[in-house]
Amino acid sequence: MMRLECHAYAYDDGGAPALADLTCEVRAGEYVVVAGASGSGKTTLARLLAGRTGGDAGAVFRGTLTLADEMLLFSGNPDDPRIDPAAWSAVVAYVAQGAVGQLSMMSATVAEEIAFGPSNRGVPTGELVRLVGEVAGALGLRDLLHRDPRRLSGGQLQRTVIAAAMMQRSRFLVLDEPFQGLDDTAAADVAAALDALRAGGTGVVVCEPMLPRSAPDGARVLGLEGGRVVHEGPLAEALTAGLGRFGIGTAGGSPRLVAGTEAVGGGRPGPGGSRGSVQVPGVTAAGSRELVSVRDVRCRYRSASKRPTSGRSTSRRDSSKRAFSRRNPDCRAASRRGDASSADDHGADTMGDGLRGVDLSVVAGEIVAVTGANGSGKSTLLQLLNGLLRADSGSVTVDGTLITRQATGALARHVGFLFQDTDQQLFERTVLREVSYGPRITGAGKAEALQRASDALERVGLGEFGGSHPYELGFVQRRLVALASIMAVGAPVWVLDEPTAGLDAATRDLLAGLLLQHAAGSGAVVLATHDAAFARSVASWTVRLVGGRLEQIDAG
Amino acid sequence: MPRRRTLDPLTELLAAVLLVVLVLVVNRWEFSLGVLALVVLPAVLLSGKPRQIGVALAVVAGPLLISSLLLHGLFFPEGVSVLATLGPARVTWEGLTFATMMGLRMAVFTGVLLTAAMTLDIPQLLAAMTHRGWDRKLVFVIGSALGLIPHVALRAGQITRAQQSRGLVVGRSPLSRLRALLAVTTPLVIGLLTDASERTSMLEARGFSSSGARTSYLTDTDTTGQRATRWVMTGVVLVFSVVWLVVT
Repeated sequence: MMRLECHAYAYDDGGAPALADLTCEVRAGEYVVVAGASGSGKTTLARLLAGRTGGDAGAVFRGTLTLADEMLLFSGNPDDPRIDPAAWSAVVAYVAQGAVGQLSMMSATVAEEIAFGPSNRGVPTGELVRLVGEVAGALGLRDLLHRDPRRLSGGQLQRTVIAAAMMQRSRFLVLDEPFQGLDDTAAADVAAALDALRAGGTGVVVCEPMLPRSAPDGARVLGLEGGRVVHEGPLAEALTAGLGRFGIGTAGGSPRLVAGTEAVGGGRPGPGGSRGSVQVPGVTAAGSRELVSVRDVRCRYRSASKRPTSGRSTSRRDSSKRAFSRRNPDCRAASRRGDASSADDHGADTMGDGLRGVDLSVVAGEIVAVTGANGSGKSTLLQLLNGLLRADSGSVTVDGTLITRQATGALARHVGFLFQDTDQQLFERTVLREVSYGPRITGAGKAEALQRASDALERVGLGEFGGSHPYELGFVQRRLVALASIMAVGAPVWVLDEPTAGLDAATRDLLAGLLLQHAAGSGAVVLATHDAAFARSVASWTVRLVGGRLEQIDAG
Repeated sequence: MPRRRTLDPLTELLAAVLLVVLVLVVNRWEFSLGVLALVVLPAVLLSGKPRQIGVALAVVAGPLLISSLLLHGLFFPEGVSVLATLGPARVTWEGLTFATMMGLRMAVFTGVLLTAAMTLDIPQLLAAMTHRGWDRKLVFVIGSALGLIPHVALRAGQITRAQQSRGLVVGRSPLSRLRALLAVTTPLVIGLLTDASERTSMLEARGFSSSGARTSYLTDTDTTGQRATRWVMTGVVLVFSVVWLVVT
């Protein structure tokens, strides 16, 4: 049994306690969902359960932690007990948010990464190979074992990190938003694997920004708001308890649209309507300006060299490991066109089908959702729209500009891009500098850039955080900073890669409203998403990438 | 075609080091030329990446060879047979011979060491160290030092991509590239420091600070034969060097 009694937990920023008067008990074989909006304290709770009391970082924790009949008492003093992270993690495995930061950087392949924990504890090589095979099979990772973990797509990386935690075979497993960025199949694989662990006696704690629609039998929900428990009970009960009043929405639900914005998403012909189909681009509704035109675009990935998953290896120096390496004759990173960007691409090395003749036409006022499995090429398609990648053949026109040899930066006035990994996008010292970077570098004067940045921050509700460092903010707020940085530039086309991943209900509603407002102002949005309900609510129409081609799903 | 690794990385590294020792001890141009033609050249050609190694060799050894040729070829005090006089400089036969000998040895050093370094399978090397029971922290330091360059490049690339997506135009001119480099430096360093602090707790959470011997997912490529060969090679080179230095 693991038990946390938290009288108060406060960070050293002098703010209100992140957690207060809270008890969380997890028994063997139990599945606990900790649900709460951004800032509700669920990450703090997860970290405490993982034995990270934050004492070394100036945080003050008053309460007790009990693990295997041993109770540790913390009174917020320097002489509080110190937790041995190695010993604690042998019993409680923890998967934090942000998969990239959890990579060991010691492993050249997914297989080695997954094996990293047990290898630290001296598990023999043969046993490691067997365990890795088992866990990889459960999470659908067998085909990825030879790949460089740093070059996986978001969903693949997330599964790798979860696999690494599952490998530890600990008695408790704490996961902070493990389903973030996963497609339906991958999410089902992860859910099934967690349920199998639970059935085998592992106590599983899953933190979620929203209530899941389903969970293993007997799952218990701990609803948090403002660091306090506002609901505790079975999932079925929680789903009908009206937790929306605490900012806890339900996954898969439609976002609540602000009055006046709903009309923007509906009423226009979809691709199957008067505009023909996605396979017939350029045919636009009368009077609508075509903002995105993709015609017969093809991108091929080179196949990854197969590396044995263990034992004597072939050389990893095979250049074909890099999908967009300099010698790659296929779909190219912009660096080869005189633009000094890296050939490394978050979505490019997913080794999916590539793009095999994609046509897409988006006119002003439209929001188009692109769906598809992890690694299906969604990120690749999106990055073609702002010139981060260049197609092998076909043409891409954005806001009337045919993308040929221009530098990516020169296209920023036409298209704003939200990366799948937010932290990949933020690079300035303060939130205000971050958001004003775009307007400043695209030609606005300093005062105007700051004004536009302030306005954008106000619109996303972060006006008071201008002076903060982006890394001081929570995940959801960082996501909003990234969005504001696009808004401040004022490009008519927004290209968003998984914009709802990890958002709580309120922020998801806010995002829906902002997208609809942008479309209503004669802008256009192309977003890749696994969030079908969100797509249904805001998108004019939805397409799916399958086998390198777009299929139309529905008109909005 | 990339070659298939058959030897343990430690065996390869030791062989390279011993070869350098031999070239140092046997101070003969014939020997250096022999090693260059019979060992270094085939190794580079069979490495699977002869072009990259060739470029690296040219970048590292090229300036050394040129400066050696200029220095010894033009200003060799012991030079007697003067071939040409260029103001204060005298091109002498002895100077040119010495410069060629020095250049040959440098070419062998750099050729052997660069080929070994550039063809080394880093993960396999780390696995070999782990299997040999080296201290896990030392292995991590070596591994992260070797892995840092691609990691930094990846991160810098991501930042540059983000900046370009927001309007940074990087032209072909050196000034434009320098500006882009400066723009990426601060966020890169801050990002790496943030990563480092996160990674420390992550490593602990994954049991890196556990006591006892660490194991590796990669199978040990070492064999009794190779272990014996390493001892024999070391012994032979040591004995030979002593004998050679005494005799000559």
